[in-house]
Amino acid sequence: MDFYFGMLQIVGLHTILGLSAYIILLTGQVSMAQAGFMSIGAYIAGMLTVLAEMHLIPAMLIGGVAAALVACIVGFPALRVKGLMLVVATIAFGEFIRIFWFNFDYQISRGGVKLGPEGGEGFKQIRFFPENGWSTLDVAIFIWVVAGAVIAAVWWMDRSRAGKVLRAVGEDDLAAQSAGINLTVVKVSAFTAGGFIAGLGGSVYAHYTTHIEHLNFDIVMATFAIIYPILGGLSNVFGTILAVIFVQVFLLEVLRPLGDLRNLLFGAMIIVVMNFMPHGLFSAQVASRIKGVFSGRKEGANA
Amino acid sequence: MIVKRFYLFAGAAAVALTGVSGTALAQKFDREVHIAGFGAKSGVVRSFGVNTEGMMRAAADKINAGGGIKLGDGKMGKVVVTFYDDRCRAEEGISVIRRIASGKFVVAVGPTCSNVAEPLFGILQKTVDDKSDSGLQFPIFTDTAIKGGLAKISAWAFRNVPNETEMYKNLFAWVKKKWPNLKTVYGGVEEDFAHSRFTWYKVMDKQAKAAGFKVLGRAKWLLADTNFTTQVRAMKKAKADIISISSHPFTLCGLLKEMRRQRVKYKVLIGLTSSSSMETLQGCARQAKGIIIPTSFAPVTAAAKEASAGGAKYKASADLHSAAAWENMMVLKQVMESKGVMAKAGTIQADRRKIRDGLAALKNTQGLIGSIKRHKSGEATKPFVYVHAQGKEWKILHDPNK
Repeated sequence: MDFYFGMLQIVGLHTILGLSAYIILLTGQVSMAQAGFMSIGAYIAGMLTVLAEMHLIPAMLIGGVAAALVACIVGFPALRVKGLMLVVATIAFGEFIRIFWFNFDYQISRGGVKLGPEGGEGFKQIRFFPENGWSTLDVAIFIWVVAGAVIAAVWWMDRSRAGKVLRAVGEDDLAAQSAGINLTVVKVSAFTAGGFIAGLGGSVYAHYTTHIEHLNFDIVMATFAIIYPILGGLSNVFGTILAVIFVQVFLLEVLRPLGDLRNLLFGAMIIVVMNFMPHGLFSAQVASRIKGVFSGRKEGANA
Repeated sequence: MIVKRFYLFAGAAAVALTGVSGTALAQKFDREVHIAGFGAKSGVVRSFGVNTEGMMRAAADKINAGGGIKLGDGKMGKVVVTFYDDRCRAEEGISVIRRIASGKFVVAVGPTCSNVAEPLFGILQKTVDDKSDSGLQFPIFTDTAIKGGLAKISAWAFRNVPNETEMYKNLFAWVKKKWPNLKTVYGGVEEDFAHSRFTWYKVMDKQAKAAGFKVLGRAKWLLADTNFTTQVRAMKKAKADIISISSHPFTLCGLLKEMRRQRVKYKVLIGLTSSSSMETLQGCARQAKGIIIPTSFAPVTAAAKEASAGGAKYKASADLHSAAAWENMMVLKQVMESKGVMAKAGTIQADRRKIRDGLAALKNTQGLIGSIKRHKSGEATKPFVYVHAQGKEWKILHDPNK
């Protein structure tokens, strides 16, 4: 069962990562800096639990807030560029953060053992879960509590006035501005919220892997973050979850025995899905059909 | 009609043959012993995983041809190898090991990359029988991930990788003795790869200085780099007697080609252990000519030649990493037989514990080119030789054991 609980952990972590990009995508911005924000949460929370011996939950919150602050700062210059230029700018920022960790060295000696980030060699022994006796199931439940809270918050936000404002900016920012929406506030807020969620995800990720290094937060991770909401569709948060399951469980895990062919299929299947379902796996049409099925059953049951 | 008869005959023959071979197998082996292999079978370091898998399968063939593994109840077990690709990514490595540990496998051999080994060992139980530690209780016997000191992370982690500190300590001392006029060293390091970075900063640089050489500086590049103009210019400007490069074949070849283009002069060229592979010779045999590398594998003994030939059947090239996978399989056979592994569905966890205890108790094992000393930390000290690239093959330059 451990393997399935492990899969649950991965799906939960990547759902958090995907939702961090989802919020920003709603405003029509494409951020490739999510892996960078994630790394901030990962390193800070890791240092707090390992070096300051803090409990994971406050460490996670601090990691999330730190990532949100950086994302907020990044959000302002990001306003000056759009489309492909924004993609390039956020890639550059993600790489900047990665290279920062690559050169970041802060170790303390405890009991003759050096602890803390050691530049390119990474940050090891982030063993909060095993050292506190958390089983794989406990960790999976914890991750899903965090993921559940993020899903609920994003879902609620999406259905509230704030969500409509984000979508309005995403559809046509000029029209939204004409309607009195402050673009700066909306876009920077989306970046900040996305940064907080990514930081939160990163703090759990560091404790899940027990060892982090700059390479964990490279362009591949940033691409995953953006693939999930695009593949799942932006009609609601469940598309992102579905896309994470499709990529992490089906493409990566179920197809693992195929070896090299898996990488070929990985790209091919994403292209196929994007061609046949351009609005994502869980588009508004699919959502309304599902809604219709359920409401139809209800009517049937009442009759 | 004739065609129909032919098909009927062929079908009957196939069924009969399957039955005969099945009976033969059933008579020879009573149970199956499942060993998992895992490593990078995609990406830049793909060749390492491919070679490890081939060598593991070849070793399993040899064990099975010799009757298999004698189990705790006297029955014979057939070794079955299953190999998983972790793409050299930590997250996937963790997922793979959880998958392996959830299955029928009694032990795993891998991974390829140190950046996968480090988190993997981190999720294992740190100290045996520590009830407060919920880490995974599964033995891993590493063949390739070579970054120094990783096995101490967990009591369930063991490695059969060479001790690079010993290798380069001896190599620089030997170079000093052989060419006493050489005074200076210039380094080159593939900065973003855990192994090569560790080997330059914590091994080569220190050992060169310890041997009395003056290190003039170092050039740095990344695993994905393809242009080395600036680095080589700095290297040329330094005019060092010895150039010591800590990088894997993919960037080593690019660098060596650029060195040749810029006509860099040196007296001795030293390379990273992992570069003493066929990839280097396939990529840049001409430019690599003369490069000296310490390695824990060379086909110098009958056993090493046999392993090399066995791997070739699976299109695997035997080098210091993949040869360790072969050695690991042989050591595991020895441990399983001495500890009385049962290989039954109900004894999997007990078997894993027996293997862990067996590996921890080992003091010496027989390697392909000599005796291997095993340490309490789970690490090994392996015999090694210095090889140099000559044409399309690696030739022994010096054997420090003689």
